[in-house]
Amino acid sequence: MNRLEPSGLVAAFAWMVLSFLALPAFAVIPVSFTDTRYLAMPQEHLSLQHWKAFLASPEWLGSIWQSLWIAVVSTVAAVVAGTLCAIGCWRIASDLSDKVRGAMILPMAVPTIVYALGLYRLYVDLDLVGSALGVVLAHSVTGLPYVVLAVSASLANLDPRLEQAARGLGASIGQTLRHVILPNIVPGVLSGAIFAFIHSWDELVVVIFIGGRALFTLPRRMWDGINDNLDPVIAVVATGMILFTLLVLTAELSLRARRPR
Amino acid sequence: MRSGSRHAAYWLVVLPAVLMLVLLYFVPLGNVLLTSVTDPKPGLQNYGLLFTSASVQRSLLTTLRIAAITTAVALLLGYGVAYAMRAASTRTQRLMLVLVLLPFWISILVRSFAWIALLGTQGPVNSALVAWGLVDEPVSLVRNETGVLIGMIHVMVPYAVLTLYANMRGIDVGLVAAARSLGASRFQAFRLVFLPLTAPGLIGAGMLVFILSLGFYITPALLGGGKVLMIAEYVAVQINDTLRWGLGTMLAATLMIAVLGTLWALSRVVDVKRLFGT
Amino acid sequence: MNGTSSEPLVRFIDVRKSYDGKVDAVRGLNLEVANGEFLTLLGPSGSGKTTTLTMLAGFEQPSAGRIFVGAEDITNVAVEKRGIGMVFQNYALFPNMTVGENIGFPLKVRRLPTAEIADKVTRALAMVRLEGLADRRPQQLSGGQQQRVAVARALVFEPRLVLLDEPLGALDRQLREQMQYELKHLHARLGITMIYVTHDQVEAMTMSDRVAVFNAGRLCQVAEPRLLYEQPDSLFVAQFLGESNTLPGTVRQRHGGQCSVALANGAGVIATTVGVGDKVNVAIRPEKVAVGPAAATCVNRYPAKVIEISFLGDQLRVRLAALGREDFIVKFANAPDQVMLAPGNPVEIGWRAEDCRALGE
Repeated sequence: MNRLEPSGLVAAFAWMVLSFLALPAFAVIPVSFTDTRYLAMPQEHLSLQHWKAFLASPEWLGSIWQSLWIAVVSTVAAVVAGTLCAIGCWRIASDLSDKVRGAMILPMAVPTIVYALGLYRLYVDLDLVGSALGVVLAHSVTGLPYVVLAVSASLANLDPRLEQAARGLGASIGQTLRHVILPNIVPGVLSGAIFAFIHSWDELVVVIFIGGRALFTLPRRMWDGINDNLDPVIAVVATGMILFTLLVLTAELSLRARRPR
Repeated sequence: MRSGSRHAAYWLVVLPAVLMLVLLYFVPLGNVLLTSVTDPKPGLQNYGLLFTSASVQRSLLTTLRIAAITTAVALLLGYGVAYAMRAASTRTQRLMLVLVLLPFWISILVRSFAWIALLGTQGPVNSALVAWGLVDEPVSLVRNETGVLIGMIHVMVPYAVLTLYANMRGIDVGLVAAARSLGASRFQAFRLVFLPLTAPGLIGAGMLVFILSLGFYITPALLGGGKVLMIAEYVAVQINDTLRWGLGTMLAATLMIAVLGTLWALSRVVDVKRLFGT
Repeated sequence: MNGTSSEPLVRFIDVRKSYDGKVDAVRGLNLEVANGEFLTLLGPSGSGKTTTLTMLAGFEQPSAGRIFVGAEDITNVAVEKRGIGMVFQNYALFPNMTVGENIGFPLKVRRLPTAEIADKVTRALAMVRLEGLADRRPQQLSGGQQQRVAVARALVFEPRLVLLDEPLGALDRQLREQMQYELKHLHARLGITMIYVTHDQVEAMTMSDRVAVFNAGRLCQVAEPRLLYEQPDSLFVAQFLGESNTLPGTVRQRHGGQCSVALANGAGVIATTVGVGDKVNVAIRPEKVAVGPAAATCVNRYPAKVIEISFLGDQLRVRLAALGREDFIVKFANAPDQVMLAPGNPVEIGWRAEDCRALGE
């Protein structure tokens, strides 16, 4: 008697909605194999022409490379700053530190367009428009919330007395961090790192504004491609991106499975 | 345990992130606010445009309308999924959760692009509709408000499901059994007992989806074909095409204040510390 | 009692329930509940008592067999149409309604007029002595008060039958005893048939007209509490209700209602016959064993040695070595004229044939 029993209609409705959620993105996969020169499902047979075009294109490959290293660098920065911040706020545990931690979430809450505008003005003054450094800095900040949330969740399972015990035994903050705290929150840190990486990898709005004339990360090149002409190569890129993020998702899930609960 | 020097050390550890946030986030946001009241001339004239400019009001109306419809449909679809999840066995629940979270992992750009591919006049959806005899000729499903709504609802349903499900998990299912034992039919038990208890979840999910919808840029821009100008795209056009910084920053500032205000109201109802796990 | 007709109100006929198709949660259940009686389903967890209750309530369907309430076969009738009140273990009070709205709920779904609902709710509240609390929320009440609201809610629509699923489990001992009394009192006043589930044997014995003991999905025995205690039909009941010394043995002779049993260590016991098998367990309750001079007149008499004495305030509990074992328990009241015992003392113990029973496995 302690079970809900939805009618068959509700269950069918739910599964239809779930299909609606999960399936559409995969539509790009067949499109990437289309034999047509325009965006459509394969008409007569599957073709690798667009895949070949993609792999032979220095622009697309260059964009991948650029997205990759920008994501890596900004993730490192976000992880270092965000992890330390989460640990500090967890240890201090005052009203003020709680507010600081709350403020770290703002980049997720405020619509990106607002931030992109302001950042553009700032970068014009600092002559950072169109520079990779500018994008790295921006993604470091917008990646912070993911790291702070993930690391804080991990810290919530950590007994604060461990840290006190270490300090009582004479360890400095650096030693405490290195030997006591960090080893116990590795899953949270990795989780945050993965989310921050994916965020930077996919990020578009900020790059559109501060990318200038020359900086084309993968999303930006896709965006321009879609707005100019709907070349099926974009479907290839989209397929690649799906496969890539699914790979990372599997890594994250296997990480979570190994986390002691 | 609140020795000042000990805490001072930990505040140092917090500092880098705070500096980053202040210099690279708050400063640009402040810049937006400042520009909205200084460009082209100091004063609140830009904000006056909220009331006098027809095109601004059209954009605001479009934004509110689309956000409202998106919220209503996403809540309806999300409620059905969350309810089915609540009722399912643990294994089925996990499968359903994976399906709900899957779109989160695929970038919004890719998802919107997928909808363009699907909804085009020669795309699979139209082909199916024509083949099944539901319509005589391809329906215009993309590059208009319909496409924007489909795309946005698709993005928002997972947010609705997760919020509603979190609320439903806290509801004692035995209450429904009790209602049945007292003579209520399945529908009565749902309407009189379960549904009222999900009201906080509906409010929370509704507010969340609504404020997220307000600030959306990519999906409406791609699926609207330039004809459905929600606020974010309108701002981008003002900045990129017509260089009207005053108007653009004013709208951006208004959007930010609306979102933050609603979030603040939401935080009065929801315990924010739970987000962090404490 | 208040039983009006002699027809049973509830009948389980050959009911079987299996959740996974492999293991039976309940099997071979044949049980009749008299109109107006207070019947308790007693047993350890997993014994099938709760499953039986949920099948009667309608939350589970039997895998086989039929269930009748009155003349009506309710085996496949939907929950809400059975007209059976139920009090749940955690009360299941609706948090979004006031106490009054909770109690009025079954009347509201039956579309009674508002005025009548208000009247019945007031009377129900008075019946459980919670007058004036109609506008409170359940969360504002104490555990005992919540429990009474749950009872009032299950009774307000005058069902023909009320089921109670371990309703007192969450209360502390003193409150539990008080509520036991109140429920019994309510039953006497209303004359409504009540079926109660518990794993607490003291509760079962205190409150019930009859107790049905379940074990591993089977109904072992159903009888009035005293009969169940004094004349258990199976080893399980003898050991589940109260304490028993059990002595395995083989029947050598039968005469009338009694038999001679040869125990493992060679001693013989005259016991009351129960069942037909030859391999038996002789059960004798600790308080039925006489110690010292009083044992002299018993037909079953044996030498024993005191190992350990526990002083429990109102009674003494003595462990003895007897009949080839070291765990023979004797209990007697801490009376002023009691024989003095000390560890190591040899004594004689004895009991009547009527007090020990040769039970099957």
